[in-house]
Amino acid sequence: MANMNLITAIIKPFKLDDVKNALQAHGIKGMTVSEASGFGRQRGHTEVYRGAEYTVELVPKVRLEVLVSSNDNEAVIDVIVKAASSGSIGDGKVWSVPVEQVVRVRTGEKGVDAL
Amino acid sequence: MGTRERRGRSYSADAHLASLFSDALLQIPTRDSLALAAVGGYGRGELSPGSDLDLLFLHNGNIPFSDLTKAVEKILYPLWDSGFSVDHSVRTRSEVKEIADTDGRVALGLLDIRWVAGNRDLVDTVESVALMDWRKNGARWISELRKFSQERAQRSGELAYLLEPDLKESRGGLRDITALRGIAKTDLVTVELDRITKAESTLNNAREALHVITGKSSDRLSFFEQDKVADLLGYKDADELMLNIAQSARTVDYLSETVFHRFDQYRPAAKLFSFKGRGSSDEKVTEIAKGVGIYQGEVVITGDLKLDPPVLLRAAASAAQRGIPLSIDSCKLAKDNLIAFPEPWPREAREDFVALLGAGNAMAQIWEALDQAELTQILIPEWDRIRSLPQRNALHRHTVDRHMVETALHASLLTRQVHRPDLLLVSALLHDMGKGLPGDHSIIGAEIVTPILRRMGFPESDVAIVETLVMHHLLLSTVATRRDLDDPTTINSVCELISDPMTIELLHALSISDGQATGNTAWSNWKASLVADLVNRVKKQISGVGLPPQPEFSESEKDLAKSGEIHLSLIKREEITELLIIAPDRPGLLSIVAGFLTISRLNVRSARTRTFANSAVMRWLVLPDVYAPDISESALKQSLVQTLNGEVDIAAKIKERVSSYRSASPIPVPPPIVEVIHDGATEATVLDVRSHDQMGLLYLVGKAVTEAGVDVRAAIVSTLGAEACDSLYITEVDGRPLDPKRALEVAQSIEQQLRANKI
Repeated sequence: MANMNLITAIIKPFKLDDVKNALQAHGIKGMTVSEASGFGRQRGHTEVYRGAEYTVELVPKVRLEVLVSSNDNEAVIDVIVKAASSGSIGDGKVWSVPVEQVVRVRTGEKGVDAL
Repeated sequence: MGTRERRGRSYSADAHLASLFSDALLQIPTRDSLALAAVGGYGRGELSPGSDLDLLFLHNGNIPFSDLTKAVEKILYPLWDSGFSVDHSVRTRSEVKEIADTDGRVALGLLDIRWVAGNRDLVDTVESVALMDWRKNGARWISELRKFSQERAQRSGELAYLLEPDLKESRGGLRDITALRGIAKTDLVTVELDRITKAESTLNNAREALHVITGKSSDRLSFFEQDKVADLLGYKDADELMLNIAQSARTVDYLSETVFHRFDQYRPAAKLFSFKGRGSSDEKVTEIAKGVGIYQGEVVITGDLKLDPPVLLRAAASAAQRGIPLSIDSCKLAKDNLIAFPEPWPREAREDFVALLGAGNAMAQIWEALDQAELTQILIPEWDRIRSLPQRNALHRHTVDRHMVETALHASLLTRQVHRPDLLLVSALLHDMGKGLPGDHSIIGAEIVTPILRRMGFPESDVAIVETLVMHHLLLSTVATRRDLDDPTTINSVCELISDPMTIELLHALSISDGQATGNTAWSNWKASLVADLVNRVKKQISGVGLPPQPEFSESEKDLAKSGEIHLSLIKREEITELLIIAPDRPGLLSIVAGFLTISRLNVRSARTRTFANSAVMRWLVLPDVYAPDISESALKQSLVQTLNGEVDIAAKIKERVSSYRSASPIPVPPPIVEVIHDGATEATVLDVRSHDQMGLLYLVGKAVTEAGVDVRAAIVSTLGAEACDSLYITEVDGRPLDPKRALEVAQSIEQQLRANKI
């Protein structure tokens, strides 16, 4: 019975503070952040790209993960998207997957109580 | 599907980009400071559904950065958002030149540059500079293109033979075609682009159909999609599609090989002011055989194909044995002028054919040249049906014809293991002729092969052997892996079908070659050892040891032998010259007479010799050297007498002949082997010498035998194509048979001498 979700967001590094602040304002108390690199349809090229056309560049990104209760899923995704958007290419993607179980290590709390 | 549709897409894209561009212009101060050009595939004006839009934004360097960004954004974002796959760069003209100087792929793409919108001058200057720089550094770019091509082949395999090829990246595919167009633009070598227009359109249509069907941009034609693509393009079935693709790829591949080879012959140092790579003063045609010459590193046909059709095979064999290509022009010439091959083939043509097959890797290129010119069907009409015939299952890597050529290649490495390398090579080349027809391909193949062998002029006994080999070419693998080898009935069942040692040894070699050519899925060390075990058991059971019988001579010959005089008689026949030489026997006689024949410029094709009553009776079949003057029987006899009297320094003269001819074969060949066979019945010891044929070989063999302190009582010498097989009956000088240990020592010492190649 999935009543929890994992939301993953790939965002531009300089947007991390904005997203963090927006999530905290929404009431999210915890998150995990890691470094990532990747590309999308524009192959990592900027608008004014001077390199050779056919190369595909890996661009540094940040991966952000939060666990939420399912009824908060859409709202949190919305918060992240708004905060992470710069309007230019390479802003990233946000997605969610259902989560079966969560346990808080120190106390042993499970489920929604562990979020 | 087709050029028109692809052009249509390109025009729509142009229109779309033009309108985006005029919106974008509102962002920048001066309207003529920016231009948009198409490069690469889009530059050529053809777009498949999955094609990229290859764009080059050219600016004059004076646009403020933020304005430039906004302008480019206004074009790119709508493209990205509507799902176009865009590959772009933004540069000034000098930035373009800078990157094109270092990156071959960019330089190549620029050759197809095409204005789409904006300031035409910007695009025009890039276009002319790009072409000029391309030509200036042509040699370097051709080398780079060759490197890219090899890397692609490593990564993506060969389009002609893969089950699921990548139409763009695999060797012989669309990228190779683009490379050929680029090479043509360097003006350094001739590139016959008209040879690949059909191939290009076949592959482009297939790619377009694939994109339409999958809705994706991948160029890999998977097994599953082949049926749908074939249907969309109007082919009868997937087999017909893949056959056309395979043939297209082979045409492209062959042209690439030819062009790169031509490039290797080009000497830039001699050409400061001309662009074409021919015509320097030291280039003339060097004649190497009748009607065959070498020009600029390729074999060319100079003779008359209508009067002397076998010159084709002579040229092919010469090219293969030297490891150099057969000129593409000569092949074209042959295609236009060769009416038909004489039936049955003259002996020389047969020998040249075998020499061609035995040349190993060099043969594959030559065979491909013959195939591309559609000459293989003139030599073997039945070949047409199996050309590029696909074998669409996981077991086989290759099309049927390529597989048989590969089998012949592997067989050429095994020529030392058999007494009839010529039959091995021919069986290898033809063993799967029965494929593609309903029924058991071994049985059908045997039926197809028999008339081919007869047409080639092989005697009936040979035809029967090859028929057996083709009919049972799968027998050993099947029996070895599925039946109990310890059970006598298993061995018996094989012996019933193959009852003589020569055939079993040929079948063994053929099985190995076939397995190796099929690949790891069909052949492994495990299988090889099982088959070897089976063969050993069968050999033990087959009666006899496979010794060639000692030659028999007529009464008149025996009488001459008894007289103790020196006799030489010569009969010139149409295809060969027969020589009968009788002389008092002495140690080293074989070597002396062989040397004498070499010095007299008579090429030994076969010999039967035997001692009778203190004389040696020798029947030789020889071919006079093409450029040797005609020699009379009496002159030859006189020369022989002088030689036997010791008036001639044979060793020195042979050295002279060999060095003026050409030394050891330039292509890699298996080393010589000397084997000992004991005939328990007659107490004879036989040395089997098998080696690549070369001038003075028999003299060398004879000398080594004499130095080992043994005597030759009888000899059976054969030259089969380019392989020499000699069986020598030897005894101690006093006539006693050799004991096994001594025989082995003698064999090893002779083998060592041959390998050291001391004439």
